[in-house]
Amino acid sequence: MNPVETGALSVLGAVLGLDVVSFPQAMLSRPLVAATLTGALMGAPERGLILGATLECFALETLPVGASRYPEWGSSAVVGGTLVALPDARGAGALLLAVMLTLAWAWVGGWSMVQLRRLNARWARTRHDAVSRGSRRTVVGLQLYGLTADLARGALMTAIGLTLFVPLVHIASDRWSSPDVVTRGVLMALAGIVAAAATHKLFHAISGTRWYMLAGLAIGAALLGVVQ
Amino acid sequence: MTIEMYRIDDRLIHGQVVVGWGQPLDLQFIVLVDEEVAASDWEQELYRMGVPPEMEVHFESVASAATRLPGFQADPRPGLLLTGDINTMARLVEASGSIQSVTLGGIHHKPGRMQRLRYVFLTPSEEGELRALARGGVAVSAQDVPAARALTLDEVLGGEGNR
Amino acid sequence: MTESAATLPLGTRGAILLRMLAIQASWNYETLVGNGIGFCVEPALRRLPGGTGGVPYRAALARQSQYFNAHPYMAAVAVGALARAELDGVEPAKIERFRTALCGPLGSVGDRLVWAAWLPLCALGALLVFALGAGPVGTVLTFLISYNVGHLALRVWGINVGWREGLRVAHALGSPVLRQGPDWLARAGTLVAGVALPLVVQRLVGTGRAVLIEVLLAVLVGAFLVTRLHGRIEVWKWSLGVLVLFALYSVLR
Repeated sequence: MNPVETGALSVLGAVLGLDVVSFPQAMLSRPLVAATLTGALMGAPERGLILGATLECFALETLPVGASRYPEWGSSAVVGGTLVALPDARGAGALLLAVMLTLAWAWVGGWSMVQLRRLNARWARTRHDAVSRGSRRTVVGLQLYGLTADLARGALMTAIGLTLFVPLVHIASDRWSSPDVVTRGVLMALAGIVAAAATHKLFHAISGTRWYMLAGLAIGAALLGVVQ
Repeated sequence: MTIEMYRIDDRLIHGQVVVGWGQPLDLQFIVLVDEEVAASDWEQELYRMGVPPEMEVHFESVASAATRLPGFQADPRPGLLLTGDINTMARLVEASGSIQSVTLGGIHHKPGRMQRLRYVFLTPSEEGELRALARGGVAVSAQDVPAARALTLDEVLGGEGNR
Repeated sequence: MTESAATLPLGTRGAILLRMLAIQASWNYETLVGNGIGFCVEPALRRLPGGTGGVPYRAALARQSQYFNAHPYMAAVAVGALARAELDGVEPAKIERFRTALCGPLGSVGDRLVWAAWLPLCALGALLVFALGAGPVGTVLTFLISYNVGHLALRVWGINVGWREGLRVAHALGSPVLRQGPDWLARAGTLVAGVALPLVVQRLVGTGRAVLIEVLLAVLVGAFLVTRLHGRIEVWKWSLGVLVLFALYSVLR
């Protein structure tokens, strides 16, 4: 991966990382969108989509309620989408590696957002008096500092992720010894378990949802043989 | 008893309580103990809008909460009791005599408070109140969300905002 | 308050809406989204007597930029209502009390409606479209368009209803969409999830159909076991651990 490609992808990672919280929260940063888009830009839209859909199953459990820290999917899914589109990384092993590294990097990205929030707090603290005087410049300035810092954070996360993981995926997918069918089976079983558990956690408390789930499963199972 | 948690949170009824704890604990009712809210109809109306229609909310002062607490504790449905500050909880603990554990869920920045956890900021006198609660046999811990580990009072007071 | 002389021109509403998209840009652990509220309400405050140089403007901006916590989309209701209260000249102490009382309810309504219902429903809907054979463009657009129609409608509604109702905005929060909406969406979400999950697994397993039945059984058993833990663990983190072990095994063997 040459520096120009890394730079361009880092800009994409910055924009999609910004979407997670700072601007505009339009869910461009969901892995289904971010990984698919990156895969498409790297010339492998179908692989990007498979990665995006797999990651989305995991992301269903990480909605921003009820945890103290959330994975940052925007920049990490750009890293993942790039990994899965590498020309010599086309097997199930490479897909599993891309999922694994995206999950891990999303977690590190969550940590980087905590650091950003600390930095924002420091900026707000030192400008507390100006805000208390009703200074428009300060209020607007704090928002702009935050936006800029978050953009830089996303770019940095993407650049570091690519630098670390592109060579790693090259090496590891070369040496991958498990058969594709087993690799895919393990990966998709885990994705399915997380998605099913997340659905249960989200909706089980609402009356009647058990029956909706059973009805849905019956339809889904009936369609299993039909939809190819 | 089925009050699952006695929580101190200055945001009172909000997403972390209703969704974050409400879903895994299957909360059916919330007892909100706050003198000002208990005396204000429009604030009660607002807070009522924050919970699902099927969840009950009881607005109580410390005195009325202490009287009604045995009834809430005997209710077979899971519930959660909330106060907005440490002092209100400390007064309720004393008045009721039946609260064995208290959870810090969110006490945010104000002038004079020092950051102990990401979500807990305390003044020296508030720290004193928490220590007094612990000395009185109440298990004081901090836990904002179900997936986080509950931290002991010593861990909270020794913290510098890094957790 | 509807008899108030204050008006909010379309241009100002547009500016507020645009700023709302960046309301969380300075989110931090001390004032949370407080500065963002000041930032968003600021275009309306310019209409106070004396304009941006006046004492009322500075006092109001200072008040509105203190600690606040709410769901980022539902914060639009607060921004509209607080703008109205400021332009109507409501006394500061009352505005502050109102502002404090708004935080929790707007947070929990938004969390229930958007994060715990609308977002997962749209994601599951897009996964279903994917499972039925849609390509990258169809899948991504299904998600982005459906989600953002709801997202933007909520923000626009929030600003307008907040402005219209002012201090009486609790009444608007009683709308059936906000009260019963999360439950309806949850039921729809569960149904979609039931249909989508087996089919998503089928498409993802792809050429390895030989193991489809085993994988689906593993999902059923695994999901049943982890739901017994009642949300006390984050399953994706454990899954990441399993993936790391499996990758090490596959590479080092």
